[in-house]
Amino acid sequence: MTNFHPDLDLITEYAAGSLALAQSACVSLHVSHCRRCQRLAGELRNLGASLFEALTPVPVGEAQLHAVLDRLDEELPLAYVNKKVKANDTPAILQRLMRGDFSDLSWKNIGSTLRISYLKTGDPKHEFALYHIRAGGRIPEHTHRGSEMTLVLEGGFSDANGSYHKGDFLMRRPGDVHAPTALQSEDCICLAVLDAPLKFTDWKFRWMNPFLKLRSA
Amino acid sequence: MLLVTDIIDGEDFSTADPGGIRTDEWSECLALIAQNQDRAAFTRLFRHFAPLMKAFALSGSTLSANHADELVQEVMLKVWQKAGAFNAEKAAASTWIYTIARNCRTDLFRRLQKFDTPLSADDVSDGEESEEAFMVLHQKRSRDRIRALIKELPNDQAQILAKVYMEGKSHTEVAGELELPLGTVKSRVRLALQKLQIQLERT
Repeated sequence: MTNFHPDLDLITEYAAGSLALAQSACVSLHVSHCRRCQRLAGELRNLGASLFEALTPVPVGEAQLHAVLDRLDEELPLAYVNKKVKANDTPAILQRLMRGDFSDLSWKNIGSTLRISYLKTGDPKHEFALYHIRAGGRIPEHTHRGSEMTLVLEGGFSDANGSYHKGDFLMRRPGDVHAPTALQSEDCICLAVLDAPLKFTDWKFRWMNPFLKLRSA
Repeated sequence: MLLVTDIIDGEDFSTADPGGIRTDEWSECLALIAQNQDRAAFTRLFRHFAPLMKAFALSGSTLSANHADELVQEVMLKVWQKAGAFNAEKAAASTWIYTIARNCRTDLFRRLQKFDTPLSADDVSDGEESEEAFMVLHQKRSRDRIRALIKELPNDQAQILAKVYMEGKSHTEVAGELELPLGTVKSRVRLALQKLQIQLERT
């Protein structure tokens, strides 16, 4: 069970389908293993369905119906088997975005404790990256120029506000400063979705700031 | 037809809606399509849902009439293809169809913006599904409750929900369009959700 969740506004936008692609992938990864948020997302979808049913219908001509009927033969109903295949532990969304597992990705080292791998979601406004922090390692203190969603995929980390474990979801707003540290016991892998680059405040890393560009799409 | 939900719940699942149509007529149509590729059942579904889909496609109207028609066709074809995956115990037919329409529209928006992505809206909405029986029951109750309460929402709140859900706009976009502060939009959405008794459970 996770302890840190997206807020109601975010889940509402997620359920309505209006969240940006990279962000909705991140929220979805949380929702898929959080019963509480799953229940809420389900209710919000019911709300969407009620609003849908209450729309004033816009007439659709018979020609449209026939055009669809003509295409039914090419599109036979698919046979569905109960899909409960769990080949590996990597969430399905991430499997679509990468080949192999985390160890097959190309990682960029930032200092000795942090490695980053950028995945392409196609979302032009958001960077979607995996952070690998070595057990006990600390990410240099940084601030956010925009918003950052973080989801813990493996292990956990802590900062001044708490400690976060697998499935926990965090939203950082512009101006939040923090220096997350991975738990001592194991390496931590997080997903981070950013809409503006980070900015290191730790003087040893400030020289990097001009080079930190948002790697979206 | 007695559905498993009736047994679990002990309530009548197939309540009549104001039009006098049994709401599970649509589940039956989906079952007929899945079992017999029944075109008459498909035609009934089309006549009822295609006009709603078109209205949905045109809400917020960034889509041209051509794209709206294309979307209606695409969604109806998906309904035909995927009918076998519909499970009346887990969802109402209208919720299931709405979800397909919502996801197809999101994908169409992204295609029109020339997104090159390996992810479809279906991939991203999979997290919503749950197999657990208590959740299924909970969702059925929530659907009935929301349907009843939604009629009592004040106009300003109903309007904002319609923008968020039917027009697929983010809170920020709605705020810009209605010239309201973002905080006002968020609080109206939250108030509406509160009235519909949709809230975060405390853990």
